[in-house]
Amino acid sequence: MQKAEIQQRVEKVVAQVLKVDPKDLKPESNFAFDLGADSMSSVALVAAFEEEFDVEMEEDRAREVQTVGEAVEFIAQYLPKN
Amino acid sequence: MSLTSEERIRDLEQIFYPTSVAVLGATKIPGTVPFDIFYNILKDGFQGTIFPVSPNAKSIAGVRAYKYVLDVPDPVDLAIIVFQSSVVHLALEQCGQKGIKAAIIISAGFKEVGGAGLEREQQMKEIADKYGISFIGPNCLGVINTDPSSHLNASFARKMPQEGSIGFLSQSGALCTAVLDYAQAKHIGFSKFVSFGNKADISDIDLMSYLRDDPKTKVILVYLEEISDGRAFMNAARDIITRAGKPVLVIKSGRTKEGAAAAASHTGSLAGSDEVTDAALSQAGVIRCTTIEEMFNIAIALAYQPIPRGKRIAIVTNAGGPGVLATDAAIANNLVLAQFSDETREIFKKSLPSTANIKNPVDVIGDARADRYRVALASALKDPAVDGTLVILTPQSMTDIDNIAEEVANVADQYDKPLYASFMGEADVASGISILQRRSIPHYILPESMCRAYAGSLFFKKQRTAPPDPPRRFDNIHPAEAARIIGEAASAGRRYLREEEAIGILKAYGLPVLPFGVATSSDEAQRMAKQVGFPVVMKVSSEDIVHKFDVGGVLVGIRDTQQASEGFDRIMAACKRANPGAMIRGVYVQKMVTGGEEVILGVKRDPSFGPVIMFGLGGIFVEIFKDVRFRIAPVGPDNAAEMIREIRAFRMLAGARGKARRDVSSIEECIQRLSALALDCPQIAELDINPLIVRDEGQGSFVADARILLHH
Repeated sequence: MQKAEIQQRVEKVVAQVLKVDPKDLKPESNFAFDLGADSMSSVALVAAFEEEFDVEMEEDRAREVQTVGEAVEFIAQYLPKN
Repeated sequence: MSLTSEERIRDLEQIFYPTSVAVLGATKIPGTVPFDIFYNILKDGFQGTIFPVSPNAKSIAGVRAYKYVLDVPDPVDLAIIVFQSSVVHLALEQCGQKGIKAAIIISAGFKEVGGAGLEREQQMKEIADKYGISFIGPNCLGVINTDPSSHLNASFARKMPQEGSIGFLSQSGALCTAVLDYAQAKHIGFSKFVSFGNKADISDIDLMSYLRDDPKTKVILVYLEEISDGRAFMNAARDIITRAGKPVLVIKSGRTKEGAAAAASHTGSLAGSDEVTDAALSQAGVIRCTTIEEMFNIAIALAYQPIPRGKRIAIVTNAGGPGVLATDAAIANNLVLAQFSDETREIFKKSLPSTANIKNPVDVIGDARADRYRVALASALKDPAVDGTLVILTPQSMTDIDNIAEEVANVADQYDKPLYASFMGEADVASGISILQRRSIPHYILPESMCRAYAGSLFFKKQRTAPPDPPRRFDNIHPAEAARIIGEAASAGRRYLREEEAIGILKAYGLPVLPFGVATSSDEAQRMAKQVGFPVVMKVSSEDIVHKFDVGGVLVGIRDTQQASEGFDRIMAACKRANPGAMIRGVYVQKMVTGGEEVILGVKRDPSFGPVIMFGLGGIFVEIFKDVRFRIAPVGPDNAAEMIREIRAFRMLAGARGKARRDVSSIEECIQRLSALALDCPQIAELDINPLIVRDEGQGSFVADARILLHH
């Protein structure tokens, strides 16, 4: 999968789960600081990513992901490279 | 860049008296810390402006929210950060950009969790340093200022306490909420209430110094789990007590025995961290308490009533038994029952029933009503022979409890002497107790607690006026000689100093050592023994033989040259037999002192308080009874004299049971010289002088044996 596609789908999931306008999302947007994610919504976000991309992510490492850009890079590791 | 203490005070002023506050990370969900902190500030009537800063809320509790603190159009004095720990640094960075100089970081997940948390705390500290921000926390409950001009409840406590004159500082946040609940039930108010958490920036000492100058605070209470810089803490506390005249009460939890377990000397094993803390706090004039209840019992006495001038108390009671209990408790706390003047006795005779006991404790009899209490209390307080009065009430059918409570408070208002009360019982006396508490009469369930509180107040009075006790300067000491001996042993990799080295160091500091030498032959042993003077003690000198006495390596009472020569051969033979591989350097020959009392002196270096000096009686007194006292160096003349007199067995030195009084002043001098040595030589980890033999008064004392252990 191309990075651009991953990014688009990540942004869609983030916008849905955190109830933010997709236009406000940038790669450097921090889930907690810029988008208001708390511990509950962070768990929901990981679950939504897993469902969206049909992957199972390592919980501890997933918890260290802080920004939209980091999420794209992190998820890319679980997907087949084109 | 570190801030000066003036800058710190300025920043603390902004924390307690901000004109505008931003809560960074606030949310709309009641029952969560980020909401409750914001809402507490709002609902408890903060006198300034409040700005919620929230990434995704347009408003919180009807107040317009900002996405970033940088978006707030007005200046912000104080930032309260409630974001999760992973992004606190981002919030703090923006605070710096906004020009905010003071913050409270509530968030947890820092040093207390170790690993990444430790790094996060360091990163946060760097940002704070870069922008010159002072902050309280992280990992704390928050800050409360009850002063009506600010009325700031920046905490997630359930309720804001009432205004009062007690400042409370706590390292534990959870304890704070329990304390607030306890205090509320007893109508105890606070001036400032601070949970300081990990104290990554603003420390307990900074906060104590702020409260020292805070006109709203009369009494300072501190709950600590660790004292990071013991000496700075002692200096700060001493300054508050003597200069500002405010009492400091401390609960220090975490009484660990770890330090003591690893010790290599008597002093090391006896000077556990808790014993050292105890000594240090007392030396600084701090009242150390073991429970929250004890702390508040003493605090309310100090906060509500005049400080007692002396220990002569009057007890006024309507019940004989409790009067006796109070008398026992008073004596146990070193208080004395006042002897009333003739005038007072006359008033008692005229005003009280003939069955009343008009001696102290004054028994106004079980059927006493408010008028009888009023006369008895007023007369007692008026009597110049009385320093303070304790009133006791038990509820009989005719006892007008509430009226008596009101009268007690009325009388107390008229005199500049302390009046404490114990209305014994629970249900029937509850409303009376409530009256007393509301009218600032310290109340105690038990007379014993009342006497302990009085004694605590007296301790403060003594400390407040205690003159400084600067250490003596000794001219006839030779620090360079001690440093040379330590340097040689250290460069040879030896931690345990040899006998002659230990004695040499003590001699360099003018401690009274006995003449000695190390003989390597029987001829030399004869010569040396003659030179130091008979009788002598002979002891094998070898680092390989630890238990010298057990292997026949020690002989005492050698009286002539022949015994010295034979003694040398016997010691060498016995030691070689017991430990054939041991490296034996010879036999240590020392003048022997007979008679006198054996005492022990020691030094231990505490990680927080530095060198600690120990004194006790030798033999079983130290081994079994652990009858020893400690002081943090430097030890001045007054403290040296006190620590000797504080041991339970002091009478052994003072001339008990027909024995001559020992030369106590020579011990005082030894303690002070040892204190100078301990301060000058930080390489010394532990030192025992065991025994120091104390002769009769005027005949001095002598170091009979000493061990010194250096640091790794």
